Amino acid sequence: MNLSRLLLRQWRKRPGRALATVASVAVAVAALVATWVAADASRAGYQRLAETVEGVPSIDISARGGGRFEATSLPRLADIAGVRAVVPLFFRPTLLRVGEKRVRELAVGVDVAALVDAGLLTLTAGRACEEANEIVLDSALAEGLEKQIDDEVIMFARRSIRRMTVVGIADSESLKWFAEGGGVVVGIQPLEQMSNAFGLVDRVRVVVAPGGSRPALLEAIAKRLPAALLAEVPAGRAGMAEDILHSANLGLDFVTGLTIAMAFFLVGNAMLMNVTERRRSFALLRVLGATGRQVQRFVTVEAAVLGLVGSVVGAALGLAAAGPISVGISNTLQAPAAAFTVHPLVIPVAVALGTLVAIAAAWWPAREAARVEPLEGLADAPPPAEGVSRRFLLLAIVMWAVAAVVMTLVVWERLPPRAAVPAGILMMLAFVATTPFVLPSLCAACARLIPERWRIERTLAVEQIIRQPIRTALTTGVLVVAVSNAIGLGHAIRDNVDDVRGWYTRLMRADWMLTHAGMVAGGLTPAGPQARLAEEEVRAVPGVQRVEGIGVATGRVAGGACVVVARDIPADRPLPIDPVGTTEAELRQALERGEVAAGTLLARRVGIKPGDEVDVEVFGRTTRVKIAALVVDYTSGGASLLLRRDAASRLFGLEAADIVLVTAKPGRAAELRDSLRQIAESHGMLLRSFENVQAFINGIVSGVVNSLWAILGLGFVVGSLGVANTVTMSVLEKTRTLGLLRAIGMTSGQVTRLVLLESLLLGVAGGLIGTVGGIFTALLIQFASQPLLGHPIRASLRPSVVAINLIAAVAVTALAAWIPARRAIGLDLLESIAAD
Amino acid sequence: MSILRAEHLEKTFGGTAAGSARVAALDRVDLAVEQGEFVAITGASGSGKSTLLHLLGGIARPTSGSVLLEGVDLASLDDDALARLRRRRIGFVFQRYNLLSELSLVENVALPLVLDGVANARAEEAAHAALKAVGLAHRAGHRPDELSGGEQQRGAIARALVTEPAIVLADEPTGALDSANSRRVIELLMQLVAERRQTVILVTHDPGIAALAGRTIRMRDGQIESDQRNVSSGTASAATPPLGGSPAGAVSQ
Ligand SMILES: Nc1ncnc2c1ncn2[C@@H]1O[C@H](COP(=O)(O)OP(=O)(O)OP(=O)(O)O)[C@@H](O)[C@H]1O
Ligand SMILES: [Mg+2]
Repeated sequence: MNLSRLLLRQWRKRPGRALATVASVAVAVAALVATWVAADASRAGYQRLAETVEGVPSIDISARGGGRFEATSLPRLADIAGVRAVVPLFFRPTLLRVGEKRVRELAVGVDVAALVDAGLLTLTAGRACEEANEIVLDSALAEGLEKQIDDEVIMFARRSIRRMTVVGIADSESLKWFAEGGGVVVGIQPLEQMSNAFGLVDRVRVVVAPGGSRPALLEAIAKRLPAALLAEVPAGRAGMAEDILHSANLGLDFVTGLTIAMAFFLVGNAMLMNVTERRRSFALLRVLGATGRQVQRFVTVEAAVLGLVGSVVGAALGLAAAGPISVGISNTLQAPAAAFTVHPLVIPVAVALGTLVAIAAAWWPAREAARVEPLEGLADAPPPAEGVSRRFLLLAIVMWAVAAVVMTLVVWERLPPRAAVPAGILMMLAFVATTPFVLPSLCAACARLIPERWRIERTLAVEQIIRQPIRTALTTGVLVVAVSNAIGLGHAIRDNVDDVRGWYTRLMRADWMLTHAGMVAGGLTPAGPQARLAEEEVRAVPGVQRVEGIGVATGRVAGGACVVVARDIPADRPLPIDPVGTTEAELRQALERGEVAAGTLLARRVGIKPGDEVDVEVFGRTTRVKIAALVVDYTSGGASLLLRRDAASRLFGLEAADIVLVTAKPGRAAELRDSLRQIAESHGMLLRSFENVQAFINGIVSGVVNSLWAILGLGFVVGSLGVANTVTMSVLEKTRTLGLLRAIGMTSGQVTRLVLLESLLLGVAGGLIGTVGGIFTALLIQFASQPLLGHPIRASLRPSVVAINLIAAVAVTALAAWIPARRAIGLDLLESIAAD
Repeated sequence: MSILRAEHLEKTFGGTAAGSARVAALDRVDLAVEQGEFVAITGASGSGKSTLLHLLGGIARPTSGSVLLEGVDLASLDDDALARLRRRRIGFVFQRYNLLSELSLVENVALPLVLDGVANARAEEAAHAALKAVGLAHRAGHRPDELSGGEQQRGAIARALVTEPAIVLADEPTGALDSANSRRVIELLMQLVAERRQTVILVTHDPGIAALAGRTIRMRDGQIESDQRNVSSGTASAATPPLGGSPAGAVSQ
């Protein structure tokens, strides 16, 4: 159809308008691509982080009633999608004799060569065991024992004494995920034979393939297992990593969704302005006999072409920006920057989506254009003011309601937490949809603050805003979303970080820490009173003010794995954990009575609540204990049972301190280093300063936080570009009006002020509405992550976050208006009067 | 049979929203126009001339009453059908905003045909012919803003003619032109009436121009105050008298 020539001519005649439209689409698509790639980079980064923390993500299969089981009773699992390896494990406590030293250690039987081949075990020296009398030692243990490759170690089994040759040294970190703290690695068959337990295993670890979903795999495995076997996520550090990952992923989804929403506003607004500006042309076409459908097709074709061009440009820009962004994110996550990869679907999807959104966004303006009264083409008056229909409000209310229902279901755990993301986005859209109803009065109210001597500019600016509530709402929509987003997520991020950090500071409140190699994973067997030797030696060191011992053991409660944490609870220091729904004093008393505190996540998983009496199995001994309260706990993913050491000793025979926290007398922390190191070495323990631990945790947390901030910042940049573009288009469109104003004697200063004022009013109003939205978003995220974290989050407002965002919004709009304002005074008077 | 008939036309504006006053722009207007007639509509500002023209041309719908063009009741047509009827059977010329500034003169003239799906080459051929008829063949490739007001208006007439419409409606086509240019435009219209038996309805404030028409309708407060046929001029065979002078005696009241 030959209207295409008219289209081309219109673009050539007014390239600014077409360019601004293309630019809007490009910005939106670029944002989409960049956010997508950045989110992918973040996810990959989190994954690597989680692996660093956890070791290797895996699923644990054990006998339901505890104890060993026949390896043959395990069905075939290796063929399930997402399985990287199936690793049978056999554990056996042993005593090593090296010269005069005797060291109690846990021996781990495993197919060493297969693990090494699969890249699941890293040897720093030597090779995997092949013969029955060969072992691989944990590097920290080897160092403590002063053993090297080819040295001999004597291993006491139940009845026999075996001479073993060290053939390999294993990297401590790579042992953590399966060795349960053991430092001696032996072939699984020799160890079984040594224990007269041929064909039996303690547990089987199923390693999740990279990119695989653990929950999905867990489900698939559980389906195949016989009733006697149980599959679960191993208790341990995994939980924490997973928690952080989960909420971070939720955040990422939310940010990505909001970016898409923002892109919609941007493109929608551009299309709307692009069309409304040409009302008169369309009206003339109608007079000459163009049907409504012809006009509609004209607008739609234009949208498709501009959308496609904008999308391609935007995708290219987005890609260009994505490289540095994902490298930056990898850096903040301290993850090795993997080769920067782009999902093959990103570009086609972004281009298609951009074009479709452009067409969709043009639908309404196209319909409006088709309905332009032919008479309008002849009138000298500007197009009639838009009305905001009641239906619009109804739509907003319906969206609100749907979102609220979904959100409630999430909080009630009828829907997965992920469902909160679309609900949140819907709510945001609903929120923006209601702005046309409040914006005019809000702007008018803000305008009161403008000095009286700018009365004329003020009146004209307000008039301009009020005349076109829908367009104004779309413009501010971008800003509202950006601000809500930033405030909401800013709060959520800070809340989560404070939560995690607060807990660590409560737990790791010492200057030095002595640990066994597997810090949290804990031992499998009780140790005699000599286990307290290290602690006592430390107490005797001059300059030590306080020593707190923490014993850790894996156990089972109500059918689930748990970590039993036995620790000193000094009366003169705050509790090291955060009770939920009770006071510290009450919890302290309950613990003194020998009751235990359960991590919130554990309680949720196995279904226990305060006041319950449950059977806890540790070291094969089952004891009935009472749950005093639930507590917030991150190290073991909240899957811990915490009790006093005296109670642990009485109930389970748990004596050893796997972790010894040492607080120095004021100013003497540094001088303890040498004596503590000696003690650590003699007991095969590692010495760490608390600073290292804190640095480690802070590193993880701030990496995640920084990457979220980076993506958020991206959103804000896009928001401001959008506002700049909209204001530019708005000025382009008002060329005539501004020219007329200049012609009748408005000074250039007045025109500049008029444009600036209009943007500022929009900025302030959008910022204020966004603030309200942001507070909602913050609460919403806090609600949605409640089922994940298992404890109610204190809804708190941070004035600094709110203030910074509001100021940023206003600053962004003021900046955005500057160029169009300059342009407005540069307009050629004659041309602007003749426009159209 | 009349080529155009209006019966009991009424048009009121406003009055729906609270507080806005009702304006009766047209009040029970009856009118019949025959093929080849050159009708001038005059009257004070606000008397309803433009409104009447809009209703006759199907760019606005009457509050009540009906308009029949070549026997077709415009009220019976939906928006699209009305649009098609406009582009095939009616030619419009207005005081301003006549040509799309993005298109060249010939493209502007071809536009109604292009809208109607006529192939490009044929549409431009017809446009060239129409431009030749108005004496603008040499400016075909120019943009509207490169033409004088009078040339633009002649271009608009060419566009109105390109579809060979049943009727040409012109609302103060000379309103923005000086007397020399006004004269050329009117001469052109009269020539059309004479040569092609083209029906033309023209709104004008200029009594001199009105006097040239074969029939003068005078409006007042939305009603037809008088409807006069001039014997001496405006017929298909009339010569072109001088413009701008005192009303040629034929205008009677
Ligand atoms: N869209 C409208 N809304 C309200 N009133 C209108 C509208 N259009 C025209 N009118 C009113 O209808 C009446 C007739 O207007 P119309 O434009 O037909 O007058 P006119 O005779 O063409 O005047 P002029 O010679 O000044 O062009 C006037 O009183 C005018 O104010
Ligand atoms: Mg008029």
